[in-house]
Amino acid sequence: MYQSQHFDKYNLINGVWDEMYNQNSIVRDHYQKVIEYLANESPDDLNKKEELAKRLFMTQGITFTVYNSGEGIEKIFPFDIIPRIITAAEWAFVEKGIKQRLTALNLFLKDIYHNQFIIKDGIVPIDIIYSCPHFLREMYQLDVPYDVYVHIAGIDLIRDHDGTFYVLEDNLRTPSGVSYMLENREITKRLFPDLLPNCNVRSVTEYPSILYKNLLSLSPRQISNPTIVLLSPGIYNSAYFEHTTLARLMGVELVEGRDLVVNNHKVYMKTTTGLQQIDVIYRRVDDEFLDPLVFNPNSVLGVAGLMGAYRKGNVAIVNAIGNGVADDKATYIYVPDMIKYYLNEEPILKNVPTHRLSDPDEREHVFKNINTMVVKKTNGSGGYGMLMGHASTEEEIEDYKAEILKAPRDFIAQPTISLSAAPCYIGGVLQPRRIDLRPYALCGPDGIEIVPGGLTRVALTEGSLVVNSSQGGGSKDTWVLS
Amino acid sequence: MLSRVAASFYWLSRYIERSDGILRMLKINYNSSQDSTEGFTWAPVIRVFSGLDEELEAKLGNDSRTILRYMVTDKSNQNSILNIITFARENARSVQEHIPKDLWQCLNEYYHTVKDPKLDIRLQREDPITVLDVIIKQVMLYYGTAEITMERGQGRSFMNIGKYLERAIQSIDILDIKYKPTNTNPTLLTDITYWKHLLLSIGGYELYLKTYRDGLEAQNVIEQIILNNDFPRSVIYSVNNIQRYFDRLKNNSNVNDYREISFQIGKLQSNIKYSSVKSITNQGLHQFLTLIKDDLYKIGNSLNEYYFANS
Repeated sequence: MYQSQHFDKYNLINGVWDEMYNQNSIVRDHYQKVIEYLANESPDDLNKKEELAKRLFMTQGITFTVYNSGEGIEKIFPFDIIPRIITAAEWAFVEKGIKQRLTALNLFLKDIYHNQFIIKDGIVPIDIIYSCPHFLREMYQLDVPYDVYVHIAGIDLIRDHDGTFYVLEDNLRTPSGVSYMLENREITKRLFPDLLPNCNVRSVTEYPSILYKNLLSLSPRQISNPTIVLLSPGIYNSAYFEHTTLARLMGVELVEGRDLVVNNHKVYMKTTTGLQQIDVIYRRVDDEFLDPLVFNPNSVLGVAGLMGAYRKGNVAIVNAIGNGVADDKATYIYVPDMIKYYLNEEPILKNVPTHRLSDPDEREHVFKNINTMVVKKTNGSGGYGMLMGHASTEEEIEDYKAEILKAPRDFIAQPTISLSAAPCYIGGVLQPRRIDLRPYALCGPDGIEIVPGGLTRVALTEGSLVVNSSQGGGSKDTWVLS
Repeated sequence: MLSRVAASFYWLSRYIERSDGILRMLKINYNSSQDSTEGFTWAPVIRVFSGLDEELEAKLGNDSRTILRYMVTDKSNQNSILNIITFARENARSVQEHIPKDLWQCLNEYYHTVKDPKLDIRLQREDPITVLDVIIKQVMLYYGTAEITMERGQGRSFMNIGKYLERAIQSIDILDIKYKPTNTNPTLLTDITYWKHLLLSIGGYELYLKTYRDGLEAQNVIEQIILNNDFPRSVIYSVNNIQRYFDRLKNNSNVNDYREISFQIGKLQSNIKYSSVKSITNQGLHQFLTLIKDDLYKIGNSLNEYYFANS
């Protein structure tokens, strides 16, 4: 163990991959420089850095609002000052794996909304597709520019006890959190002067310009300055900060549903000098709310007639509508098969073994072994509605089983994966906490690009395996070394 | 520029200007409340900024700290500084990518300063002027930062139109309410402290002393607040600036809308410019002020209809 007061209480968790220490309790090479730096800082210095980080988030308004009894409480997304470090070799592997997976998923979406070969060939069962609420008939036979459906993907990765990367879920609709990848890096620059260049950390700042370049290339009108907008649900959305940050960094207009109007299958925004036609919409509004004429009729977050304009090809929408059928947790089971089917390749990144609870045999198996399982809703997100078998009471389990039996299609179960641990500065000392990794992949006409970095989410509660911000999770700056 | 964004700029600015007016008035009135217990009343302040609610007036009484807390940190008061800065910030938030980052941070700090629970405690225990100065400094920082960092485009024009519209309405309201009791109590017309208060509340006392050598008199006060081109809180100064910034919105794509509002502003401007204290008092001050205020509201409504797409 490293001799420094910060590390006195760093107790390795049994059977868990530690990002900083190897199995012999020796600091891994890629953490060496950071650890040396930290060892030279007094606890007082580190506390000051923690304070500074909080203050920077607060004054810059990098906050989300939690509405409680009518009163908005401003909160910052908890940030741990110790970076998470990924080696060049690990990154190369992850990057290759995500590119492969995303390529297959794009092909799957095109296939499923056109000829459905994958169903006809019996690779993916038809009931999985047609029972998915995110499979939208409105998308059938609709051609999208360059056959790209998933322009932005946030595929969540975790590491098991031996360090193997697994895909936990594919977020292919409107993955969020990328602004925290960018802001966390800005904060780290302020907290640890000179440390980033000394460690040869690769930059993440290119993200907005790559995204902008891709959006530009999608314009249906061949004109020199197409109008690109970011469609946000508005200031009460918890990700609003991210929407403004991206709009600002790309120099595009941020619009809300009420700013838009559709006329003659073209989308316009209302400006002080009249209507202006829109070519590309990077939307951060869910499918269901995009067009009250086609989807949820009560929605005011989108604009009436948008789907018509989309079908006519007069406007490009990013990500494409109907992607939910590909990141549904029941479809997830078949992604390795898709990779083999479409690409004739072996999957690089592994899936977590997953049980479909609509299958009576698998269901029985899961019910028997529920203490070692995590049960999730196929369409759930944010860590809501999950059952962690090992941490639940008898009663909770019985209630949950009853829920499952009502609609078995809506649930899947996975064995509890341990999640790797990384050092966090908590209560004045370094302590191991569980983490995941969400790199952001951008897919454009020229292929897939992944900015070297991502969002590392961390379960700040001791022993917890849930990293979602809604469940007491925080984040870390994520370093990819060159 | 998006119509919604233009509207947010306009309202952001109106709210900030309103908070500035309220804070300055509170500071002076508090100071006066320490000067003479006799004859001083918070009633005009409460009337201008909280509507004419007699029940509320009775409830608040004349205790300075109760009123300060009501005006600064009370959530139930629509026009408390806390609520106003919250509205201002919500507007700024929805145009965050259009305002300089510095300005956003400035507003954010202003908001957190007022929102801090310690502020309310300080208002109860410490010297209120020190506390009010802390907040006023935030407003000044905002104005300074806006001046230095805002791009000279449409956004700034809408901001300044909102600012001067709000300012004109405030000056009118204060004058109107202060003048009203003289109808039943004509001795007030020559009451020096009474008018001194009014001038101090809107920061015009020093200018008054320089302009009028023959002591405090209601007629001169009216002249300064409505007609003095050099007084930054006068009605005419504010209307001139509305005209000035509206002019910059002229371009080829919305000629008709522009003309409509330009006409309204021009007419109002001439109406004030070609008035004198004598013609105003002949017409009746209250009536004159009411007409001007109606015109200002109409300009606001037209902006809403033609530029903010809220018709």
